[in-house]
Amino acid sequence: MAARVRPNGMTPLAWLALGLAALIMVAPLLWTVLLSLKHNADLVGHSGAALRPPYTLENYGAIFGNSLTLRWLLNSTIVAIGQTAGVLILASLAGYAFARLEFPLRRTLFVIVLLGLAVPSQAVILPQHQLFAWLHLHNSYPGLILPGLVAPFGVFFMTTYMRGIPKELDEAAMLDGASRWTIFWKIIVPLTMPAQSTLAVFTFLGAWNDYWWPLISATRSDMYTLTVGLAAAQMNYAQTSGLGYLMAQAVFASVPIFIVYIIFQKQIVRAMAGAAVR
Amino acid sequence: MASLELRGVRKAFGATPILDDVNLTLDSREFIAFLGPSGSGKSTLLRIIAGLETADAGEVWIEGRRVDTLPPGQRDIAMVFQHYALYPHMSVRENMAFGLRNAKVPRDEIDRRVDEAAEVLEISPLLDRKPAEMSGGQRQRVAIGRALVKQPKLFLLDEPLSNLDAALRLRTRVELAQLKQKVDAAVIMVTHDQAEAMTLADRIVVINDRRIQQVGAPMEIYSRPANTFVAQFVGSPAMTLAEAELIDGNGLARVKLGDGSILQTAVPREVLPAGGLRVGLRPEAVRVADKAATTKAKVELVERLGERSLVYARLGDGQAITAEDNAYSRLALGDDVGLAIDGAAAHLFGPDGTGYHRTAAA
Amino acid sequence: MTAERDWRGLLFVAPFLALYLLILVFPLLRGLWLSFYQVDLFGAGHFVGLGNYARLLHDPVFGTSLVNTFEVTLMIVPALTVISLLLALALNRAGKGAAIMRGIFFASAVLSVTIVTLIWRFVLAPDAGLLGEAWKALGWEPLPFLSDPDLVLPALAITTVWWSVGFPMLLFLAGLQQIPQDMYEAAALDNSNGWTTFWKITVPALRRTLILVVMLQTAAQLQLFGQSQLLTAGGPSGASRTAVLFLFESAFGRWELGYASAAAEILFLIILAVTITQYWATSRAEGVRGR
Repeated sequence: MAARVRPNGMTPLAWLALGLAALIMVAPLLWTVLLSLKHNADLVGHSGAALRPPYTLENYGAIFGNSLTLRWLLNSTIVAIGQTAGVLILASLAGYAFARLEFPLRRTLFVIVLLGLAVPSQAVILPQHQLFAWLHLHNSYPGLILPGLVAPFGVFFMTTYMRGIPKELDEAAMLDGASRWTIFWKIIVPLTMPAQSTLAVFTFLGAWNDYWWPLISATRSDMYTLTVGLAAAQMNYAQTSGLGYLMAQAVFASVPIFIVYIIFQKQIVRAMAGAAVR
Repeated sequence: MASLELRGVRKAFGATPILDDVNLTLDSREFIAFLGPSGSGKSTLLRIIAGLETADAGEVWIEGRRVDTLPPGQRDIAMVFQHYALYPHMSVRENMAFGLRNAKVPRDEIDRRVDEAAEVLEISPLLDRKPAEMSGGQRQRVAIGRALVKQPKLFLLDEPLSNLDAALRLRTRVELAQLKQKVDAAVIMVTHDQAEAMTLADRIVVINDRRIQQVGAPMEIYSRPANTFVAQFVGSPAMTLAEAELIDGNGLARVKLGDGSILQTAVPREVLPAGGLRVGLRPEAVRVADKAATTKAKVELVERLGERSLVYARLGDGQAITAEDNAYSRLALGDDVGLAIDGAAAHLFGPDGTGYHRTAAA
Repeated sequence: MTAERDWRGLLFVAPFLALYLLILVFPLLRGLWLSFYQVDLFGAGHFVGLGNYARLLHDPVFGTSLVNTFEVTLMIVPALTVISLLLALALNRAGKGAAIMRGIFFASAVLSVTIVTLIWRFVLAPDAGLLGEAWKALGWEPLPFLSDPDLVLPALAITTVWWSVGFPMLLFLAGLQQIPQDMYEAAALDNSNGWTTFWKITVPALRRTLILVVMLQTAAQLQLFGQSQLLTAGGPSGASRTAVLFLFESAFGRWELGYASAAAEILFLIILAVTITQYWATSRAEGVRGR
């Protein structure tokens, strides 16, 4: 049997270690949830109270009553969806051009895009901030969405995937009188659906969790995304003593992303596998 | 008006020349085979006609219209790819309709043509299926259907039979032959299988080494090959080529083989060039016969084909020769055998490979 | 297929390229340009040549931040690699249980840095934290993770490992699944025990994944920012300030854009150098093997 042959010598000790590791993974999350279910007053001074009842949902009630937190949720949603749609469109168009079309400077331009993968965000973020200030795009949705659209990874990913589609299909379509655009829209794009959904999930996660850019671009609290809003709340914690409320905000911010994770688990795993094979 | 005319077509990939000054004229409604080994340039030629490659020089004319500057979709041609190239995400019907939709053909006309073609090809029940849900043979018929509905002036078939297993291949050969009757256009088929070309084509264009070697009807190619390449490529098993020396005789050439045996050919002496000759003998011209033998040979292999046997032997001077025997041949490895060579059926080839054959009967 | 076709291709790539040039290439070049200027709150800058760089080299705060960054990276990357590899090995099996476990270990990776730091602040805090409570229950004094200069970097490291273990684990899992079964069967026939099989077969087969994980994580952790800012604000007294936090504070705290840009360029060069060295070292090793 294959299982016996694999070097998975899982001794009882190993199982114990694994269980302990799982506990370490889960405990902080559980702790957070428990804290969120307590009255703020009960927690002052002794947060150990989280381990004992009584529990309450009042913190969550307060969140839904707090229009600012809901606004942050809206902002995150708009930015994440906007960025995902934008990346899919731009990366598909560019990917098709690089994979299939002959145009001058094609190789040079592709290398330039590839080099972008090596540039860390801090090398460009300050000038980007200046640029967007000059364009009066701070504290706006376009301002939050645009920088994420230039990720070279998306283009690289789509180009690689599209290269894998047999050229014969393009040729058959050419003989069928299809224009470049028709081939792109009716043949190539439908055939890249798996890659599109993988890229979409990746981009969505990245956009939703982005901290750096929204932090410096959104200075008005009504333009914060959930990620930034939560950081601000964290830093103001010392002024308030709403530990339970703070933790409820953390749980609230995690739920959407966990939902996306659970629904698209397959996509995410497949994307990672693809990265490893490369 | 010619269905197809190629003038001075030349093509190289980088530094490697693929086609060298190709000139060809095809009449309407002909079924032509481009026959040649891999790398001969036949597929490239097909793709140039289709517009999928651009020639470095030369012109392509289809039915009096110059097309080499036009994109593939505007040349009024259809192509069946070797691996069918069906759109995997579309149903059969959508696959077949795609080209017509791009040409803005009205909806009901599209449906009519698709249904008609589907019936002819017996794929009507498959119209709503996707390519992945069909067998190879069915996919090929869809590919043919996709080409049919466009009602083109020229059909291009790229190695249509090579992907099929033996049984399916024979069946499809028959179907292609029947299709030929129903279709009102010229057909060009690319193949490396000479049997296929011989069976289906009205004329064969033998291509090798970047050039057209010969153009002609199957039997002409077979019985009067223009050079040694064509002689050995067409006909299975291959023609035996043996060094021969011209000796004295009358108006018809008389040659002596390496082992001393003499052959009286039916080839007129005067057309022959000076220099070393080779004589070409198809197996059916060399029969195993003890009594009327003109030569002796030693058997190396006997291939029993059912209706006849092929005897691969060596002459006294080591020259390999292929002979025919009846089905019940008792020959075995190592036997000495007498061969009767029919000199009148012999071909002669000059030092540059050009073929000389007996004068055609009046 | 004439030259006309050629130019039309550019139309497809133009939208992306336009944004790319505007939002990535131009800022990249401008960042370099900025680093040669001294820019203050009023926007007017004057050229100082390499002045910013010289000042950085003598800036103890910057120096400490670089040291901290290296230290925390060295704490994180080996531990992260080993742990995620072990997890992948243990969980590379079929069955619902293993699938659930894999889900658990990856779950933390989908959270944002602010959520993670929020959670861990209240795990690590001596008075209010989970660890504090656990320590007290065991009768020990809770450790002041977030206020002891010797403990802050390990605290950041632990938080980051907890957060990041999922992604490398998946990479290793994918790499493990690529290993053909026959290798293990041949090893079994050759009487190889678990340990030998692991070192002689599994690890070499995972070579490429190992290199990928180490390179990616090193580059990522050299840019560590959120945990440093949110958990400890770089404190106490700069003991946990990373290079990117220094950058952030210079640019948005003190508005010294030129100075911060110079720091950014230095960090960029360091990351580039480290990545290239890693790549060169590993491909040389492969060349020595002779394939």
